[in-house]
Amino acid sequence: METAYLGEHLAFGKAGNALLILSFTASLLAVFGYLLPLVRKNDEPQPWLKLARTGFYLHLFSVVSVITLLFYLIHGHFFEYYYVWQHSSSTLPTKYMWACFWEGQEGSFLLWTFWNAILSLIIVRNGKTWEGPVMLFMMLIQVFLASMVLGLELGSIKIGSNPFILLRNHPDFANLPFITMPDYLSKINDGRGLNPLLQNYWMVIHPPTLFLGFASTAVPFAFAMGGLISGRVREWVVPALPWTFFSIMILGTGILMGGAWAYEALSFGGFWAWDPVENASLVPWLTLAGAGHVMLIYKKNGTSLFSSILLVSVSFLLILYSTFLTRSGILGDTSVHAFTDLGMSGQLLLYMVFFVVLAVIMMVVHRKAIHSVTEEESIRSREFWMFMGMLVLVISAVQITVTTSLPVINKIFDTKMAPPADAIDFYNSWQLPLAVILSLLIAVGQFFRWKDSDMKSLVKKILPGFIAAIIITVVTELYFQFDRYQHVVMLFTTIWAFTSNTDYLVRIVKGKLDHSGASIAHMGIAFILLGALISNAEKHVISRNMLNVDLGKDFPNNENILLYQNDTLAMGEYYVTYKGKSKEGVNVFYEIEYLKANHKQGGFNKEFTLRPVVQLNERMGNVSEPDTRHFLTHDIYTHITYAEVEDKNKPKEDGEFKPPVKHTIKVGDTLTTSNALVTYSGLNKQTDKKSLFLNEEDLAVSAQLSLIDINRKVHLAEPVFILRGNSIFSRPAEVEELGLKFSFDKILPETNEIEISVYEKKSNSREFVIMKAIIFPQINILWIGCVLMIIGTWLAIRKRIRNAANQKA
Amino acid sequence: MKKIHIIAIVVIAVGLAVIVSTISNSSTYAPFSEAIENEGKTYHVVGKLDKQKEFIYNPEQNANLFGFYLVDNEGTEKKVMYNGTKPQDFERSEQIVVIGKMEGDEFHAAQILMKCPSKYNGNEQDQMKTVGSI
Repeated sequence: METAYLGEHLAFGKAGNALLILSFTASLLAVFGYLLPLVRKNDEPQPWLKLARTGFYLHLFSVVSVITLLFYLIHGHFFEYYYVWQHSSSTLPTKYMWACFWEGQEGSFLLWTFWNAILSLIIVRNGKTWEGPVMLFMMLIQVFLASMVLGLELGSIKIGSNPFILLRNHPDFANLPFITMPDYLSKINDGRGLNPLLQNYWMVIHPPTLFLGFASTAVPFAFAMGGLISGRVREWVVPALPWTFFSIMILGTGILMGGAWAYEALSFGGFWAWDPVENASLVPWLTLAGAGHVMLIYKKNGTSLFSSILLVSVSFLLILYSTFLTRSGILGDTSVHAFTDLGMSGQLLLYMVFFVVLAVIMMVVHRKAIHSVTEEESIRSREFWMFMGMLVLVISAVQITVTTSLPVINKIFDTKMAPPADAIDFYNSWQLPLAVILSLLIAVGQFFRWKDSDMKSLVKKILPGFIAAIIITVVTELYFQFDRYQHVVMLFTTIWAFTSNTDYLVRIVKGKLDHSGASIAHMGIAFILLGALISNAEKHVISRNMLNVDLGKDFPNNENILLYQNDTLAMGEYYVTYKGKSKEGVNVFYEIEYLKANHKQGGFNKEFTLRPVVQLNERMGNVSEPDTRHFLTHDIYTHITYAEVEDKNKPKEDGEFKPPVKHTIKVGDTLTTSNALVTYSGLNKQTDKKSLFLNEEDLAVSAQLSLIDINRKVHLAEPVFILRGNSIFSRPAEVEELGLKFSFDKILPETNEIEISVYEKKSNSREFVIMKAIIFPQINILWIGCVLMIIGTWLAIRKRIRNAANQKA
Repeated sequence: MKKIHIIAIVVIAVGLAVIVSTISNSSTYAPFSEAIENEGKTYHVVGKLDKQKEFIYNPEQNANLFGFYLVDNEGTEKKVMYNGTKPQDFERSEQIVVIGKMEGDEFHAAQILMKCPSKYNGNEQDQMKTVGSI
């Protein structure tokens, strides 16, 4: 008999499932509607187009409805739905509701589907003659995306993962006894909630941007394929250009946001770690930037058509490949981002293979049309150097892809290759020279004319920027003193790329907005590379621990320092004090005060306070989040690498002492204990034997120790050394307030020294943290570069939209 | 020979160089036994933490020296020393990858990667915990 469960709202789920199926079938319908007029050329196309549009609008409606519905369920805390339970909780602030929407795989696929549908809407509305062929491929992509959230089970094959699955039907719950009770829902008090680590504004803005970037790569691809299938092998380039640059802009923004997130809120110790997940989105961006440039070449002189088609296709296929890499669990050991396999790797693989095969077939079938008779491009032409730039971008992409794909290579060839031991260094050793070549091309590229340039006037035009770059490089180098020649070379080329494009903007474009896109975007790229170079090459860890021996020169990692509460230590140009910790929710804040010595009046001046966090994250364990102080010229980044999170105040074996520490000291010497400074001020031979219950003939000498504690209070201790006949005794002295005990063990008359043992109570251990502090110089250049790149690309898009509109008119 | 051919040759050469350098620079996933045979060569060793044995970590003496015992997939146990702080929640890790080399009887790790139960998506383990607290 079916159990009648209480308090469930099943209608929503049923509606959701119906809508998911509708979105899938409607996209299929649209595919057929757009395909048939292209295949059956004799038919009247209008009815088919009408059918296709009906399919598309139904699809759009269902996608938007699914998202609204799922969001409504999250917002209303309907925990009978697994996705709602898994990703949200009733205490979650409303501002994070969207964040938990796309925390899970299903939600992020919906987000992707949504953006694809919105971009498709623009094409349906404004595509005119391009609507049919382009939408055919957009909808084909939607068929696959919609299938990712279908959740259909056909025998043993599972298609997609459904966001509307009920908690009691989910494999993790279905077998629990309490779940069969009619009132099981009343026992589920709250959802598991959004991972606290992801509860920040980055999680609200980064995924939508990145997924819009992913979705936008589909449009140039659809244009290229649509051009091939409709026999307009050449005409697709101009209308696709603004889309390509749109994609470059949005995907670029998404990637940089990810870097900023990592830098601000995660403790990777930088904004870029060459992590497979980061690489997976960077690579398509590189090929897409290459695509944008060869499309410009094609538009100008009709060559590089094949490169254009190839690169827009490769960029889209790489997006699918990166989705496969990050969601199939294949990266496993090599990434700090752990992704679990939702059992969809097969489907993802099919998705990828389908479009690879499709693209290859399309290009092979139309190879004759694509193959254009290319006349030799002159080495003095702009297009030649742009083409070179594209090749450098592609080589960079290949290097990153090959290294990131090691786990895939292992799987295919059954090898056991691991990433290079120092992966970051390996990437840099390849990417730095490529960045040098690229920035050289950026510096000179624009000064070449299309077709052919006069070398004399070219040199003349380039000269001012070149001279400015040399001067700035010399000054910068004198200041930073890079010790590796590669860094100096890159410093020069990136500065030159910047000055030369600034020069071009001012003297040649004369600041006309319409033509300044390229210069501004390239200035941005130059600044991104320059900022990355300086902040990385000159980054220095100021929390160096000089005291300890390490494991040898291959492991020079003494980058963490231990700070006792209220102690002040020198660190770089600062002094730091650990003031204490406070707990707010799951976050433990550690207050680290940065001070500077006041040379005039003595003492310290407080400069600023940083509050790095250790998050007691139930799902991932304790996670450290940094805090960074931003200055115009540098950032000071601080994070806790180790802290005893458990409460120190819990009673320990109170009476016990730790093993003693022996010291041999002279009069005037000072020792330190964990809580006091101990000074040996001399021997006292007039000890009051009576009060010590000693015999008259005993020889007794005491050591006079004065202790200064943290509060500058002075304590005295006099351990006694006793000689009775031939035996030696020691009568220790204890300072209870400080939990210290001293015993006077030996007198060394030859050297005037004595031997003292210091006992400390176990409960004496003081609260401490171990932290790492890094200075990133000039990182603001990088951020300025990001903004310039985005603005410049936007100006380029604006111009290309106008061009495309003019072409139609 | 046309320019385009020269360029093609250069690009192919660089492509090959990329592949060769990746393979020659790549480290290897290996058990301790292989790392012992080739002492001083860098390996990735995958294993599990021996939870019976104590950690070697005394931050108040040296915050940058951490040691533990790792059992690799073949069951060999070795002491691993690492020049850094004890990673947060090291005890909870399910699987550990250490990157480094054998030095005498110890494995010196330059990097430790941990796989903790469930980062972004739930697995049974921690869901049971939530349910258990109802």
